[in-house]
Amino acid sequence: MFNLIYYELFKTYAKWRTYIGFIAVAVIIPLVMWGMKVEGGRFIQYQMRTLQNDFFITGNLFNGWIIAQLIMNSLWVHVPFLISLVAGDQLAGEATAGTFRLILIRPVSRTSILNSKYVTTLLYTVSLVCAIAALSVGLGLLIFGSGDLLAIDRDMLAILPEAQLWSRFALAYGLAILAMWVVASLAFLFSSFVENAIGPIIATMAVVIGLLIISNLPVESFESVKPYLFTTYQNVWQQAFKNPIDWGNIGKSSSVLVSYSIGFWLVTLFVFRRKDILS
Amino acid sequence: MSQEIVLRTTNLGKRYKNRWAVEDVNLEIHRGDVFGFLGPNGAGKSTTIRMILSLIKPTTGSVELFGHRLETEREKALAKVAGIVEKPDFYLYLSAFRNMEIAGALTLGRAPGKKRIMDSMALVGLQDRADDRVKTYSHGMKQRLGIAQALLCNPDLIVLDEPTNGLDPQGMKEVRELIAQLSHEHGITVFLSSHLLNEVEQVATRMAIINKGKLVVQGSVEELLLSRAKRIILNVEPQKKALAVLKKLKRVENPTLDSTGIIANVETKDIPDVVVRLVAAKCRVFSVKPQRSLEEYFLSVTEVE
Repeated sequence: MFNLIYYELFKTYAKWRTYIGFIAVAVIIPLVMWGMKVEGGRFIQYQMRTLQNDFFITGNLFNGWIIAQLIMNSLWVHVPFLISLVAGDQLAGEATAGTFRLILIRPVSRTSILNSKYVTTLLYTVSLVCAIAALSVGLGLLIFGSGDLLAIDRDMLAILPEAQLWSRFALAYGLAILAMWVVASLAFLFSSFVENAIGPIIATMAVVIGLLIISNLPVESFESVKPYLFTTYQNVWQQAFKNPIDWGNIGKSSSVLVSYSIGFWLVTLFVFRRKDILS
Repeated sequence: MSQEIVLRTTNLGKRYKNRWAVEDVNLEIHRGDVFGFLGPNGAGKSTTIRMILSLIKPTTGSVELFGHRLETEREKALAKVAGIVEKPDFYLYLSAFRNMEIAGALTLGRAPGKKRIMDSMALVGLQDRADDRVKTYSHGMKQRLGIAQALLCNPDLIVLDEPTNGLDPQGMKEVRELIAQLSHEHGITVFLSSHLLNEVEQVATRMAIINKGKLVVQGSVEELLLSRAKRIILNVEPQKKALAVLKKLKRVENPTLDSTGIIANVETKDIPDVVVRLVAAKCRVFSVKPQRSLEEYFLSVTEVE
């Protein structure tokens, strides 16, 4: 199995499209930071303007941590797109290139081949989220310095002490990986149906955006379906910045996300094991 | 002593919606055979090969390779099998060496050594291009690389689907020679699908013909061609006298003089009588050879169907 994963990783990282996500992140994050630097503290002043009437705030709240947290909001749509670029290509790409005929006539089970591709997809997802984490936190702290985090929520505003932030951000990125795992699994599933990688990318983004709209629209008739949509739980990483942390909520959201991911993987396995290779 | 059967299909069939692409195909390929699998375009050759190599799930029947059922013992069944289906495809963005390494690792469960890869590439004359990306290869080079990857893990059975497709005459000749070499020198059983009858006639020892998804005939090439032999070449002296005798015989059709001898259409059962008549007419009969090309045979069995 390790052998299969090694060669899947090799194939994936030898492809140009794999680096599109990393290049996008390496361009966008410094660009956002440059914009923030130019804008100065205007953003934080806007957030704080009502509080400054009642509180006397000292220290550097416009710091690398808050920038990194803002960048995490890109996880809603932009990062799923970058992930589906690679995940959607894992099976459909082999069909397009005709290389299923090279690998599926070998004395290796289809389950093993699928699993090695799935693990590779997850490792790519982890590596992309880690790249975002390293770049946004690292560059943020380097440019804007450290300090406490102003955690803005719908119904409260908390100042999280600097000492807690490394562990909170680690938790947030860990939960972000779970949220992106579902997207990767969905794109992987769509990839098993077709023989062109464009289809899975478009289908994944259509589903993610469509369900996100349903999950976030305050429409009464959507309320009954919201608990069953994975997009309802994709903001679970924001729980890492609650004070105190709602572990029950994190546990429930994580369970739903993991269940969806495993469900998508099982359906993919079912489809792939029965799939006739006609390309 | 019966020969070992390396590949057996039993009632193999594949149905797409209401159409049977392949129906009740029963094949037996013995160790050491160069087995020609013939059929017109759309006859079901590729579908059969894809079922044999586990790319397509059969609707009915089973495939057995080296005594192992493909459905239940896939890994054992495919352990000593290699194949090229339609055209060899590779990861174009990787070097030929890496492609070979991946193909080898999937078969062996570990990376094949550099020497092994280079030896296989040398066999098809690509050792100097091993580090080049496959996207820089010509069609003929990819075809040769396909054969190299098929040979990499010392298979006992190679399944080749139209291996000379797209090759120039020199490339086709090289592939034919390679197939003969694999069979004679390495003892590898070859399952060769083709619509090029000349190709199969030159290299195959046994063959099967499939038409409209059904197996029409199966057996040794020599026996099958002889079984329906009608056209014969007579080496007889004096030729003019013999020709006159033959023209009088009702059972002899269209006797004509040719540079190879006298050519005529005679049923196999009537040949002894024809020879007796010629001898009685004081003609010296040196030989009677049935002349039957695979093309004629193929057309006769597929057109009947």
